[in-house]
Order: sequence, then C-alpha cells, then structure tokens
Amino acid sequence: MAAEFTYSTKNADCAVAYARFYAMHTRVEVILPKVEESVAQQLVRRVENRVKELERLMNRFDDKSPLAVVNAVAMDGAVPVDDELFMALELCEAFRRGTGGYFDVAAGENPRSGAGYLLDGKNHTIRLVSADVKIDLGGFAKGFALEQVCRMLREGGVESGVVNFGNSSIAALGHHPYGEWWPIGVANRRSAGAVAETFELCDSALSVSGRAENGDYHIVNPHTGLCVAGDELVAVEGRSALVVEVLSTALYAAPHCARADIMREYEGYRAVELYCHSDGTTERKIIE
Amino acid sequence: MNRKEFLADCGAKGLAGVALSLFPWLESCTPKAQQEIKGEKARIGIIGTGSRGLFHIKNLLQMPEVEVVALCDDYRPHLEDAAQYFPKAKLYDDYHRLLEDSNVKGVIIATPLYLHGRMTIDALEAGKRVFCEKSMAFTLDEALEVYKCRERVGGVLLIGQQRLFDPKYVKAMQMIHEGKIGKVVGVRNYWYRNNDWRREVPSPELERRINWRLYSEYSRGLMTELACHQLQNGSWAMGMLPEKVMGSGSLIHWNKDGRDVYDTVCAIFTYPNGVNMTFESIISNKHFGMGEQILGSEGTIDLVTAMHYTDEPAPKGSGMHQLVEQIENGLMSNSVFAGTSWAAETSALAPGLPIMQNVKVVSGESSVGAEADGSKELIEAFAHAVITGKQPEKVLEESYYATQFALLADKAMKEGAILTLDEKYKIPYTPMKNR
Repeated sequence: MAAEFTYSTKNADCAVAYARFYAMHTRVEVILPKVEESVAQQLVRRVENRVKELERLMNRFDDKSPLAVVNAVAMDGAVPVDDELFMALELCEAFRRGTGGYFDVAAGENPRSGAGYLLDGKNHTIRLVSADVKIDLGGFAKGFALEQVCRMLREGGVESGVVNFGNSSIAALGHHPYGEWWPIGVANRRSAGAVAETFELCDSALSVSGRAENGDYHIVNPHTGLCVAGDELVAVEGRSALVVEVLSTALYAAPHCARADIMREYEGYRAVELYCHSDGTTERKIIE
Repeated sequence: MNRKEFLADCGAKGLAGVALSLFPWLESCTPKAQQEIKGEKARIGIIGTGSRGLFHIKNLLQMPEVEVVALCDDYRPHLEDAAQYFPKAKLYDDYHRLLEDSNVKGVIIATPLYLHGRMTIDALEAGKRVFCEKSMAFTLDEALEVYKCRERVGGVLLIGQQRLFDPKYVKAMQMIHEGKIGKVVGVRNYWYRNNDWRREVPSPELERRINWRLYSEYSRGLMTELACHQLQNGSWAMGMLPEKVMGSGSLIHWNKDGRDVYDTVCAIFTYPNGVNMTFESIISNKHFGMGEQILGSEGTIDLVTAMHYTDEPAPKGSGMHQLVEQIENGLMSNSVFAGTSWAAETSALAPGLPIMQNVKVVSGESSVGAEADGSKELIEAFAHAVITGKQPEKVLEESYYATQFALLADKAMKEGAILTLDEKYKIPYTPMKNR
C-alpha cells in the first residue's frame, strides 16, 4: 500500500508535508516542513520503498525472507547471506558484545552468554550455534531503518523533519520551524494526558523500551532466557537512531545494577528510567 | 478540574448556560449562587460517624461555609472519633434528640441502609434539610415513602449519588448529549474487588452492627452499596428509565462467615428502545477493577477514566498530527506520543483522548469513598442548599430511580424473574434528551 500523503499550506510561511505508511509491523510517519510538495512526495516514496525492502530482508515471520531461511536451516551448516543482512548481523554481534550481552537478537528461552551465531566474513555465511537459536531482528530493524531514512532525507536536502517508527523510535532532523529543537514527550500510559519525560531532539533520535502497549512483557534477558517483568520505561536519546534503539532494548533487558556499566560505553547518549504512576507523576532516574 | 472550574471553563467558552440547562443541579456553584450565601453558615448535624461519616467530615473541614454543630452515633468509639474534629459540637447517641436540636439546620445521614428511610423521613418531618447516603431506602415502598414525604413537607433532600456532581461525569454526559459518540447503544458497568468486605469487629456481639453490609436484614448487598452508584449512568446518558430488569446473584466465595448477601451479581436493565445496561460485581477477583462505559454508535466514553474512544480511529489527534497542527499555526509545544511500540489501531487499542485535563481516576477499591469522586462537590451543594433552602433540580429523581432499580434488580435475582417497576413506584421524571 502506498503511503498516505498530505501537504498543508495553511501556514503560508511554512508548508508542511505529512506521510504515513505501515511497515515492520508498525506505523511509520514522516513530517517534512518547508519541503516542496513534489520533492516531499518523491522523498516519502523512496523512504517507503527502502523501509519495505529492509522489512522483506529482516522479517523472520515471512518464510521467503533471507532471515527466515537462516532461521530454518543455519543450524545444520553455514548459510550464505547477502551483504546487507551480513552487515546487519555483524552490527548486532558488535552491539551484543558492547552491551554485556544484553542486546542479543538471538536471545531465546534458553539462557546463553556467548554469541548465538557465527559469521564467516570471508564467505559471507552464518551458522547458528544450536538448533534452539532463532534470530529476531525486531529490536534492531527499526533503528537500522530509521538511521538509513534520516540519511536519505538529509541527502535529499531535508534540513528539518521528524520520522516516527511506531512512537517507540523517533528521529529528528534539524529543529522545529518555530523552535530550536523538536519537543517530544514520552507519554505516561498509566495516566491519560500526563507526560513522563520530554526530550528536545535536534539532529538526534529517541527510543523507548518497556512493557508492550497490550501489557505483555516481551523483551528477553538473554542471560536468563526469561522475559523482563519491569514496569518502567527506558528512554534513550542520542545522535544515532540505531544506537538508541539498541541501547533502550539492552538497558531494559539488563538488571538495574548492570545498566550504568552499559551506558559508560556510549558517550553522548542519555538514558533515563521512567517509573510512571496512575496519579500522573513519574519518577525519573538517569542511568549513568 | 473541580466543578467550579468546570463551569468556569464552560462560561469562558460560552457554554455555561448550556451546561446548566442540561445539569441544573449544578447551579449552586455558579458565581451568582455563591454570592447568595456569602457570609452565611450551614449549621449541620451528622447522624452516623462511622467510616463514611468520617469521610464526609474530612471534606466538611475544608468548607468555610459549614459549621458542624452536632454529632450522633449510638456506637461510642465512632462518636468519639468524630468529636475530635469538632470539639464544640453537641454529642448525641439518639438521632431523635439531634433532630430536636434547633441549632441544627441540616443533617447528614451516613448510617446503615436499613435506617436510611426512617431517619430521612424523621429528619424531613422535623424540618431539617437532609442529605442521606445512598441508597435512598431499604425497600421499594420505603423509597416511595421517602420521596412522598419530601414532596409533602418540602425542604431539601439530597442522596449520596456523587457521580452527578463529579466534573468528569458531568463533562462526559454533556458530550454524550451533544452526540459525540452517536446514538447510545449500550451501557456497561462493573465493579470488581477482591476482599471480604468486612470491617474489623472489636467483639463478637458487634458483628452484625459493624458488618451490617453482609446481612440481608440490614443491607441489599452489592446492588445497593455499589450498583446504585452506576445504575444512574444509563438513565443519565439516555434520558429514559429501564423498562425491565433481570439478574442473577450468588454467594460463591465469601460463604463461610455467616453472611447472607450475594458476593457475585450480574444484572441486565433493558430500556424502552431496546438498549441494555449491564451491571456486574464480583468481590473475589479485582483484575478489572471498576468500569463504567457508555457505548455509542460512533464511539465510547469511559466514565471512570474520562476517556473518549472513537470507533473509527483516525490519525488526527495523534502526536505527529499535533506537530503538524502546531506548524500550521506557527507554534511549537510539547507533543506527547513517544512510548513503547505502537499497536494496531483497532478501536479497542486506539489510544483515545482525555475528555478533560487533570482527571483523577478512582479505582473503586475503597469501600469508604475516594478523593475527587464528586463526594465533596455533592456535600458543598448540600451545604449551599442548607443555607438557601432550595432543592437542587432533578437530582432527587435521578437518585430515587437509581435506588428503585437497584432494589428491583435485587428482587429479580431473588425471584429469578424478569421484573418491571410497578406503576405505583413511578414518580415524575423529566428525561434529559440527547440532542
């Protein structure tokens, strides 16, 4: 389905394009102020195509996707994968090591501390270390895509804009047309209308992890194989959409005592734990 | 936002007249009505100083226009607890003596249900202005007797149906009457708790006096203690009264302590237009807490959380659209939408919009009362009425029918029958019609 696109000229000084489409099991929205309509349309089309391309590559639920093939057969032997998937898996492994093992796209029911897969850079192959390992790039793909979308938009001449992947991964280009940043609030889901925390995004990104909207605990601690039953939100802000995505997942998966150690490896990134209450208040704890 | 702020907000938007025409009992909080009682005192006596009486006392302490001059309870420890708050108040252990006290202009009755009717009638006949806790009476006949007594002697009678004074309910009903959720097609009420509903008893002979709620000799159980609050939602939203009532009740879990009121009930109230209102209460599971939802052909209003959900969620109103609207208007302000992953926009999962700001959500767990549930506003309205002697419009009729239908449902459960309210119990009722 093609993106829904609207172009508002209500403000004569600042026309604004809005587009949305659905990919990676979520809603992707783009706001582009001060971009000519035809240019904005063209950019949105390219963005949508690119995101859907990545979805086809990384969707483990699509039997035809290269990742699904890896999950199906790579426990029996090395499976060749294309450059892009190989690079993504390399990045994931680097982040696994760089987060004390708490960001692990191969996390499953069985506790594990080492890598879940082995990469052969020479032959561009992957092999799963055991039959119970499955790779799920859900916690990586949105950040990976968002990073690429931001680059595409910048290359297309966009100086100001916001890209939102399902409210949990948001990237800002430049600043709001009427301010020095894009003010984005994290909602306190336990109290309608209440704000848990506000971030001032400018050429930076925000990622939020926690219990799913439907109440499910869905993020696994790779070291225990158990879903993390934390009711707090972990929000991470920083210059890379991919890094904030990885960090918010890793920090939520990690026990509280391990979180600061992870953050020490990522200079220039800010992480905060948000404990939201039904009376509208939020306790905030900076992870440092 | 309290009731005064709500009306002030309506006034600022030119809507105060509209709100008052729909909800005339709110008139006591208009600036004109406040001016009317400036410098005057409502001299109040309280009959029943147990947990609910104390809850009212704590609200009364915040009202400069109120002077509590007398307290009455035949259980000394409760009376002494209350006396600490009003050292100058006269103390009585017989409510007849309090009613003879000419210094008392208004009485607040917060006693067990089986006493409500008799005490209210006695107080009205003694010339007092009366507030009585819900439910209004213990039987259908007694409720009618109370209503007729008020009609005969005039004066003021308010019943503890505090939702009628809760700003979020008032706002929600206004939206419903304006057609914001289309045609009302259903009303759902539920109230779940997981506790034995018992109060601590200092010695065994006090069991039935303190835990009166558990015995059918004094109480109608969940229907009069909980349902009564919620049953007005359907009538208020649709401007009509139920035509027939059916239900089922059982004692399934807390059945070893000698109580004889149901601990699980389910009732259906069918309106003349075919719309059903349900009420369910279980006190051995609390997962879903308390809920009150008006279902419309175009959307839903959750009265407890003061949220409005549309059946066809549109992206308008999403955080990103707020950003677009800001830019269109040359503005920048915080857009609050970040969180854990967005879920598919089915109507059940759509985020909904708050109908007003600063809403305090009441869990329904407390069996005494909760802050910001309209109780304070109701007592303020009563204090105003004690001074002016003016009966707020419509509120008594709403309360009367809430009691009658709670009692009728209890009867339907006991008889296993589908019942209609006998003509003899019908009183004039001016429905608030949807526009």
